[in-house]
Amino acid sequence: MIVAHLDLDAFFAGVEELEEPSLRTKPLIVGGDPRGRGVVATANYAARAFGIHSAMSCAEALRRCPHAVFVRPRHALYRQYSQAVWTAVREVVPTVERTGIDEGYLDVGEVAGDFVSAAPRSRRGESHIAVRQARSAHDNFLAARRVAGAVQAAVRGSTSLTCSLGVAACKVVAKVASDARKPGGITVVPAGREAAYLASFAVRKLPGVGPKAELRLARAGIETVAQLAALDDSTLARLLPGKVGGMLRDRARGIDPRPLELAVERISISQEETFERDVAELEVLRAELRRMSQNLAGYLAGRGEAARTVTTKVRYPDFSIRSRSTTLPAGIDDAETIGDLACSLLDRALRDRPGPLRLVGVGVSNLEPFRQLAIA
Amino acid sequence: MSRGLSTRGTVQILAGVLLQVQDGHLELAATDMELSLRAKLDGNVEGEGSAVVPGRLLTEIVRLLPEEQVVLEHRVEESTVYVTSGSSESRLRTYAVEDFPRLPDPATSALSTLEAEPLLDTISRVSRAASRDESRPVLTGILVRFEGSSLVMAATDSYRMAVKETSVGGSPPDLDAIVPARALDELRRIAAGAGEIQLGTLDNHVIFGVGDTWLTTRRIDGQFPNYRQLLPEAFEHEVKLPRDEFLDVIRRAAVMAQRSTPLRLRFAEGELTVSAQTQDIGEAREQMPIGFSGEPLEIGFNPVWLRDGIESVVEDELTLKLINALRPAVIAETSGDFWYLIMPIRLAG
Repeated sequence: MIVAHLDLDAFFAGVEELEEPSLRTKPLIVGGDPRGRGVVATANYAARAFGIHSAMSCAEALRRCPHAVFVRPRHALYRQYSQAVWTAVREVVPTVERTGIDEGYLDVGEVAGDFVSAAPRSRRGESHIAVRQARSAHDNFLAARRVAGAVQAAVRGSTSLTCSLGVAACKVVAKVASDARKPGGITVVPAGREAAYLASFAVRKLPGVGPKAELRLARAGIETVAQLAALDDSTLARLLPGKVGGMLRDRARGIDPRPLELAVERISISQEETFERDVAELEVLRAELRRMSQNLAGYLAGRGEAARTVTTKVRYPDFSIRSRSTTLPAGIDDAETIGDLACSLLDRALRDRPGPLRLVGVGVSNLEPFRQLAIA
Repeated sequence: MSRGLSTRGTVQILAGVLLQVQDGHLELAATDMELSLRAKLDGNVEGEGSAVVPGRLLTEIVRLLPEEQVVLEHRVEESTVYVTSGSSESRLRTYAVEDFPRLPDPATSALSTLEAEPLLDTISRVSRAASRDESRPVLTGILVRFEGSSLVMAATDSYRMAVKETSVGGSPPDLDAIVPARALDELRRIAAGAGEIQLGTLDNHVIFGVGDTWLTTRRIDGQFPNYRQLLPEAFEHEVKLPRDEFLDVIRRAAVMAQRSTPLRLRFAEGELTVSAQTQDIGEAREQMPIGFSGEPLEIGFNPVWLRDGIESVVEDELTLKLINALRPAVIAETSGDFWYLIMPIRLAG
């Protein structure tokens, strides 16, 4: 397998710059209100120079860069761009696992053969099979770099957006590599070089290492991926109990058996809203959920899909999150039904823990490309 | 009895079983406010009185009793019921009897006696089509209506609907109610093998009696969909199919309809092709000869619901009535008193 991880560079900010070219030279932050409690969704590279990054509070971003331009996210617009991007990508690499609006994995190996250079390839006899295979693996990674270049060109050509790609024999290495030379970079990690490539990265760069795992590892003096890779079984079991430890150590060693997930694009679509101030009024919360349900229904209609699961998410002033879900016997795609369910799930969440909310959100998942018809 | 216990757990007393000794009988009762059960037990009874004990615990203890015989002793001053059997003794703290809700009393209701079999059969033909979605309470019930000497039951979850008309002997009661499907399913369990069932109404309750066991259930308020109007009057195709063979074909193909993907039925000249395909899992395809003529028709169904419909047929042959790929289909019997309407899945592309 040769897989590429594609990540659009500062996607939301990139779109805003295209829509308003004068923003290109300014520090630009897409996110919530800097005078309210919003967070940074995306910052352009000029803003990142001030140490501003996603998930930072907008107020903090404003402190760091008082002359930054703040804009509210326009998700409908980003979806349109995203759709154009993935259409362009699929023209080069047909097999794609989208993992988000701005990132995904590409089965580069599948098309690499088409990109092997026209120079005559060595033709050797049976006795040199091993050599020939080694040569062709090398050829394939060279070809994969060309594929990645062609993907970049296709994305730029259709949308003027830039993206970065990491190419490797497995997902985890490709993902780390795509982040290595942003923006507009391509990083190829040939087969066999995975562990060496990952070795010097900080452990938190390894997908799957969350804040808790990072803290546990840091307490034991484990800071680099190489150190994690070198842990023996008993130390590993002590630091990261359960299956996750073995999985993360494998990843640290550049081993990741996950195939591209193409079966069901198990995407869930959700929307959420952080309030300016905590909201206790049920009517306001319900209206917000209904408004978001409307957007989700529009999105489902655009994809020709129906959802069987509806989830309502709430965040309390102490930042704790609760979510309540319900799964239906058949998919739905209309705003009213989604809204009704979202509101009754909100009631359930508030019955379990009453109080004002900092955020509400609604999501739909279990998406189906077909539609169970109902009795009229 | 444990099925009458509340599982919601918000009101403790509803998780209790009332043990009541009166007129030389022990009576047990449990309720979750929607459905309640009471049963008389034979045994040697001394004294009078009542106690409420945690139902799940009592059920568990009884299930594991070491001996055939069990002694229940209520020591009021200790607020405890002793359960002894052989060398085992369990002591259960009691709840306050006065908190236990008053159950509808069958003695105050006018009861009709019905033959058990037609009633239970009718339930079994329709109850699967009832909804389990509590957000639309009316659809979690079965419409039970006596019209002259015939009993009609209908149930729908808004994707399929089952209707059965059955002629009943005796003097049927005047009843037209939406009864919770789970209560009727419970009645099927309690009354299995019984010859007669007593039926009556009391306020907003429906009461069923099987020997000394009484099941009462709250009626569901609301308007049940007009099932007659929902059954299409005319169809494009009426295909006769052997029930068992059709069921086998559907079951085999349904194995490959994972993650609620549709089963595809393609009707063509003289032949039905049933297929299912789940991406990255696999696919199945099977053909059977049928009497079909005209333009080929491909229609998708939820495999489980289609299977439910075929299984509800008791005759050897069924008729599948079709209009087109987006209109309801109906599974019917020759006798003409059973209908199972099923809405298709709109197939992509």
